[in-house]
Amino acid sequence: MPTVATPSTERTARLKNRCRFKHVAGGEYVHAGVKAGVERARLITESHKKNIGNPNCIIRARGLANILDNITIHIQDDELIVGANTEHPDYFPMYPELSYFATVDMVESHYCDHQEEMREISEYWRPYTIQTKAEKYFTPEELGIMYSATIVQPPMFVTAFSSIVPTYEAVLEDGLIKRIEDVEQKIADANASLRESPWNAQDKLGLLDKIDQWEAMVIAMKAVVGWAQRHARLAKIMAENFLADPKRKEELLEISDICRNVPAYPARGLKDAMQSKWFTYLLCHSVERYSSGYGQKEDKMLWPYYKKSVLDQTDQVMTYADAVELFECERLKVSEHGSTKGRQLREFFAGSNDLFILTLGGTNADGTDGSNECTNAILEAAANIVTTEPSIGFRWNENGNVETKKKVFECIKKGFGFPSIKNDEMNTQQLVKYFNVPLDVARDWALVLCMSPGITGRRGTQKTRSEGGSDVYPAKVMEIALTNGFDEFFSNVQLGPETGDGANFKSFDEVWNAVKAQIRSAIELSLRSKDVGRIMELTHLCCPFISAIDDGCVEKGMDANALAEVANPWHNIIGGSVVVIDSMTAIKKLVFEDKKYTMAELMDALRNNWEGKEEMRLDFWNAPKFGNDDPYADELATKYYDLIADEWKRNTTYSGTYPLPLAQSVAGYIVNGPKTAATANGRHAGEALDDGGSSPYMGCDKNGPTAVLKSVSKIDASKHKGVLLNQRLSTVLMNSDAGFDLWHAYMKTWHSLGIDHVQFNVISQEDMKAAQIEPEKYTDTLVRIAGYSAKFIDLARYSQDTIIARTEQDMAG
Amino acid sequence: MAKCEKCTFFFPIPEEDMDFEPDKGDCVRQQEDTKGKFWLSRPVFRSTEACEHLSVQTS
Repeated sequence: MPTVATPSTERTARLKNRCRFKHVAGGEYVHAGVKAGVERARLITESHKKNIGNPNCIIRARGLANILDNITIHIQDDELIVGANTEHPDYFPMYPELSYFATVDMVESHYCDHQEEMREISEYWRPYTIQTKAEKYFTPEELGIMYSATIVQPPMFVTAFSSIVPTYEAVLEDGLIKRIEDVEQKIADANASLRESPWNAQDKLGLLDKIDQWEAMVIAMKAVVGWAQRHARLAKIMAENFLADPKRKEELLEISDICRNVPAYPARGLKDAMQSKWFTYLLCHSVERYSSGYGQKEDKMLWPYYKKSVLDQTDQVMTYADAVELFECERLKVSEHGSTKGRQLREFFAGSNDLFILTLGGTNADGTDGSNECTNAILEAAANIVTTEPSIGFRWNENGNVETKKKVFECIKKGFGFPSIKNDEMNTQQLVKYFNVPLDVARDWALVLCMSPGITGRRGTQKTRSEGGSDVYPAKVMEIALTNGFDEFFSNVQLGPETGDGANFKSFDEVWNAVKAQIRSAIELSLRSKDVGRIMELTHLCCPFISAIDDGCVEKGMDANALAEVANPWHNIIGGSVVVIDSMTAIKKLVFEDKKYTMAELMDALRNNWEGKEEMRLDFWNAPKFGNDDPYADELATKYYDLIADEWKRNTTYSGTYPLPLAQSVAGYIVNGPKTAATANGRHAGEALDDGGSSPYMGCDKNGPTAVLKSVSKIDASKHKGVLLNQRLSTVLMNSDAGFDLWHAYMKTWHSLGIDHVQFNVISQEDMKAAQIEPEKYTDTLVRIAGYSAKFIDLARYSQDTIIARTEQDMAG
Repeated sequence: MAKCEKCTFFFPIPEEDMDFEPDKGDCVRQQEDTKGKFWLSRPVFRSTEACEHLSVQTS
């Protein structure tokens, strides 16, 4: 049966009905009318021209101020949370200061109505972009490898793709006026210190840059307060001049009062907190620069304000139902939020707008249950309104309350694909062990993007993807390990070191060592590009507002890109890990143990896409596969995951430690499939890769859900930032009277086995096939891709078929 | 040419606001499309040349 949304109020039903969704399919925005806004690009350019010659942080602050003072703002009918990143509710912004390629990609598309002006703007910025600044540190060959998106993700300085966890709490708790006063005091103190006797250059000269940074913070924060006041004025003008409905007039006057108060002053109750959080989100993720994500521990952050408004009824009084409506409004606001990504990333997030993931559950700083009534209201809103975004990550702690877990189950049972579940105890301990985070701080972690934990709070959160993020693509890496590092199938480029032709390999060790050498090369190139990008960010792309709301940056007078107060380096290994494991397992068994085939025969078959070799292909397809609790395949899997952890561990990044790998896929398993030749697991060239980081290959897990869990549990997940497991569960069982008990028992097994992560699809074969025939009846049917969810009908047929091909697990089996 | 100061959609900025400048105001207009109504605000000055949406004050 099609999924049906049940908005809790007439308002959210109207808002859902008219929602200006910004998601993409096949690399294109689905809804007609979505356009590239030009005002942000125009205003930052105008300011840059006027301010050249100033310290970079001042240039950046004045650029932000020019945007906030002058961009067209808007409020839509029925909205309770206001503010957007562009001049029109159908638009998304552009960032010409980041990447020339990404800007041109958009300017030359049909989304841009101001092509002549934007061509001029993008050419103006070309020498100033972080892309141009960073490229000189790489050879043309290295750039060619990275830009081909074959073995590594193109670097941040060309995709402009970043991620951040804003320090929301500092804004909600302090308000910006207090922070402006604090920073102005620091400037005054520094100026006084410069004039102290005797003169000591070693002590004093460092203050010059700090004064610049602090002055930039003040400019940025004052502009933000002014921007909120513009919204306050607009709401009041609307109430007093444009609207007749007394109820809406009253709402708008309250919105006006809220925007006068926040983010200038501390939030008084839940309405203030939601608005202040939204303004801060916009600024950090899409006005000052572009960053993906919706990283926040929302129930913990909002709990003091929820308590005041709903439980204690002391300020901005509301009921539980009112809070649920507000969270439904938030979900719709996120669904309307337009993000700007180049084509490769639009394809990587098939069916999605961007990677918006909030985090719930887990524990409080003192170790008590972190789920509360606010958690339940957020989950209830998600169950009601049925939007793909924001996705939810739930921290599964053994001591978490069952009532909240039942609400998690209700969302999963409806087929949303979220919440995805992370092992709370394991991930908390990892932050303590690998990143030296104090336990009470570690307990407040949230997902930075899909499934990578980072701290939240007032300081030290992740500020850029050059800290954590970027990808290596393992299936392609293994392919070139067998072809002397040369990509014969897709790019015709030498992508890695010359490790020999697989046809000549005489032992399994030779295969293994070639794969290891290629992985090493890909990792090092990718890491180097991140750290070079980091230097370009902190030199040329200062973020004065993001810095101004981080206690550490204010204290030290440092830009947020420069300060790595809490290291959190991680690096994705995207889609294909299980193809590598299954391929290596098949080679080991059929070539080097059973000696049924030679490497020369295998390479000939792979180069010819198994043509005329169907019997041979089936032998490789039927070789032992990961995900069946088969020790033969699982032993190699364990060795593979240890290898990638060890290979990353050899390196030290900008923040002074080694990155942890994170095995997952987003839609990379779909996008990278056509770039990958036939593989030794019996897969044909062009077919999809494995959908996750440890999900068995489609149709290859034949021994039931417990066998999958046992295979995955053999991976030492503590060495990884995350290991994504997708599971498809029976709709019949999940919807039966015993559904929760069966799922709860499954989750207890999952937890007791020390597995890092799991996310679910609960949708029947019949519904997916019916949706392919009559999509208009399935407009609210969601599915999990990997790391995010999408509307099934928005996926290309190829992508839909990869979901259908996943094994449906019967938990009672 | 008519100036923004003559327009009913011109609203002066209060002196206490961060973005206050003498003669600066908000140009607020209502728009409607298939997705519903929304209201836009952009900064203008009294002396800015009026746009095609000019609505002259009668009083």
